[in-house]
Amino acid sequence: MNKDLDIYVLIKQVPDTRSKAGVNPDGTIDRAKAGKMLNPFDAFALQGGLNAKKMGGPNSRLFAVTMGPPPAIDILYQALEHGADATCILSDRRLAASDTLATAYALCRTLEYLFKKNGKKADLIFCGLQTTDGDTAQVGPEISERLDFTQVTYCEDFSISDNLLHAKKIIEGGTQLVSAELPALVTIANSYTKLKFKSLRGAQFVQDVKRASKEELAKYVEIIDLDKCEADEMRCGLNGSPTIVSKTWKIGVVGGNCKMHQGKAASELVSEVFKDAVMLKEFVKI
Amino acid sequence: MAGEVLVVAEQVDSQVANVTLELLGEGKKLARKLGSPLSCFVIGHNMEAAVDAVIKAGAEKVYLADHSELAEYKTLHYRRVILDELSSWATPPHTLLMGSTTTGRDLAPRIAAFFETGLTADTIELDIGPYEHTSGIDQTKIGYFPECLYASRPSFGESLKARILGPWKDPQMATIRPGVFAKPEMLTEKPEGVEIKKVVINFQPSDYRITIKETLREIEGKIDITAADVIVAGGYGLGSADGVNLLKDLAACFENSVVGASRKIVDLGWMTYPYQVGQTGKTVRPKIYIACGISGALQHRVGMQKSELIIAINRDPDAPIFSFADQGIVGDVYHVIPEMIKQLQEKNTSKLAELKVK
Repeated sequence: MNKDLDIYVLIKQVPDTRSKAGVNPDGTIDRAKAGKMLNPFDAFALQGGLNAKKMGGPNSRLFAVTMGPPPAIDILYQALEHGADATCILSDRRLAASDTLATAYALCRTLEYLFKKNGKKADLIFCGLQTTDGDTAQVGPEISERLDFTQVTYCEDFSISDNLLHAKKIIEGGTQLVSAELPALVTIANSYTKLKFKSLRGAQFVQDVKRASKEELAKYVEIIDLDKCEADEMRCGLNGSPTIVSKTWKIGVVGGNCKMHQGKAASELVSEVFKDAVMLKEFVKI
Repeated sequence: MAGEVLVVAEQVDSQVANVTLELLGEGKKLARKLGSPLSCFVIGHNMEAAVDAVIKAGAEKVYLADHSELAEYKTLHYRRVILDELSSWATPPHTLLMGSTTTGRDLAPRIAAFFETGLTADTIELDIGPYEHTSGIDQTKIGYFPECLYASRPSFGESLKARILGPWKDPQMATIRPGVFAKPEMLTEKPEGVEIKKVVINFQPSDYRITIKETLREIEGKIDITAADVIVAGGYGLGSADGVNLLKDLAACFENSVVGASRKIVDLGWMTYPYQVGQTGKTVRPKIYIACGISGALQHRVGMQKSELIIAINRDPDAPIFSFADQGIVGDVYHVIPEMIKQLQEKNTSKLAELKVK
C-alpha cells in the first residue's frame, strides 16, 4: 500500500474556441463575449490527478487550483463534480497581464499557502501540457523549479510506488520510461486517458455545495487574493512580468491571390483546380 | 557591451539536432547586430563531432559539458551544468535560444524561472531592436533600451502577430520550433581560434532524483511529415475522426505523401501529435499542401505557408485559409475529396495508357 498522497491539479479557464460566439467577422476574438471552458489539456491532468489519488493511501486528497477572474470558479465546480476534494482560486485584479514567470510565482504562493493550510506539502502536482490560449507549456516547469520538485513533462502514463513516480513520457522521436522521486510535478500529454464522465454523485454534491451556506461553500471552493497567500504584488501581474507585448500587427490578408472555385458541382470544381494546378501531375502515383 | 548570444545545443546519440544548427544560423544575425560573439553550449558525452558541427555552423565560442552522466538528456543534470556555468559569468548572455522541442520545453522554463527572466515560447521571428518604456506603475522599468531581443509569435485566436520583449533582465530567452529557420551553410573547414571552454561539472545528490529506465526511439517507420512532397491535411471541418480515412485515401494517390493535421483535431484525438502542422506542431514546406476543412488560423498558417502550392477545401467561403491558398474550393470535403480521388485515378489510368503506347 502506498502512503497517503496530497495531489494538486492546476487548471485554467480559457476562451471556448469550439463555438463561434465572440468571434468577430475579421477572425479576432472578443474575449468578453466568447464562451469559456476548462482548458482541454487540463482535463487530462485532472484525470491524472484522479488516477493518482486511487494509487495513494486511503486518506489521499485531491485539490484543484486555478488563477483567474471570479467566473473561473466554474471550472472548480467541474473539478469537484469529477471527484476533487477541495478547490481554490487565486483571484485578484493585480494579477492582470501576468506573463508565465509572474503566473508561476503567483501560483507558487497559492500552493505554499495551501500546503500550510493542509498541513503538508504536495506529493504530486499535475498540470496540462499547455493551455489553448497561451500555448507556452512553461508554467508547470517554472513552478517545479521554484518549488524544487522533480518533473516529468509530456507524461503519457504513470504509476506510483515507494515514493517514486514511474512514468512513460514523450521525447524527441520516441518515448522514455523514467522514475522520479516525489514530490514531483507532472505535465500530462493529451495521449493520456480521457477525462471520464462526472459521476451523478459528484454532480449532486456540487448542487448541494452551491446551495450551502457561505462557510460551507468555502470549505470546497476557497477564494483567495494576493494578500491572503502573502504574494509580493511587485512580482505579480504587469509589474512582475519580465516580458511585455510591445507591438501587435495584423497579418490577415497575405496575397489574396487565391483562385476561387465555387458554385458548381464537385466534379467541375475539382477538374478546374487540376487544370490550374499543373504541378500536381508530377506527384501522382502510377 | 551586450552579452553573448548563446544557443543551448540539443543532441541525440551525440549528434547535434538540426534545430540547433538552425538557431546558430539565426543567432549569428542577432550576434552581428549586437556586436557580440555567438556561442553554443554543448552538453552530452563523446561530443567531439558535435563540437565540430556547431563551429562549422557558426559558433564562435563553445561551452562544453562532456560527461557520461550527460549522454542522454536529463532535466536536473542538464539544468545543473547550465545554471552553474551561467551563474559564474560576470555578464550574463544577452540572448539565450533553445529549440522548442520536448527537451527545450522541459528545460528552458526551469532556466528562466531560476534567473527570473522572460521566455517567449514557439517564436516565429527573431530580431534585435530598440524599445522605449514610458509608463507603468513600476518606475524602475522606465527607460530606453537600444538592443532588445524581439521575439514574435502569433497571438491567441487572432490573426495578429505579437512582438514580445523583455530588456530589463538578461538573458532574454526564446524557444523556437524546428524548421522555422533555415539551416545555415556549413563551413567546409573548421576556422582557427574558436575557444572551447570545458565547463566545471559538479552534480549534487538532488540531481539524481530522476532516473531513466529505458529509452525507446522509433528509428524505423518514424513519422517525419517534414520530408514529404505532398501533405493532405485535415481540420475540424472533417466533422469526425472518420474523415481521416478520406485524407489517407487522397494521400495514397500521390508519391512521397503523408497526412497532416490541424491542432484542433489532434487535441480531439482524431490524429496524433507527430502529424500536427502549425506553430505548436511541425513547420512544413512541401511541394503541395492540400488543406481539407482547415480554417487557416495564424497558428496553422505559420507552419505551412511556405508550401509551394496550397490547395484549400472549405465550406466557408470566408475562411481565412482562402486568403493565402493558391487554389480554393468552396465545398464539402466529403464531396470534393472523393471526386479528387476519382479524377486522379482516371489520370492514372490515362497515364498508364500513355506509358503503354510508348
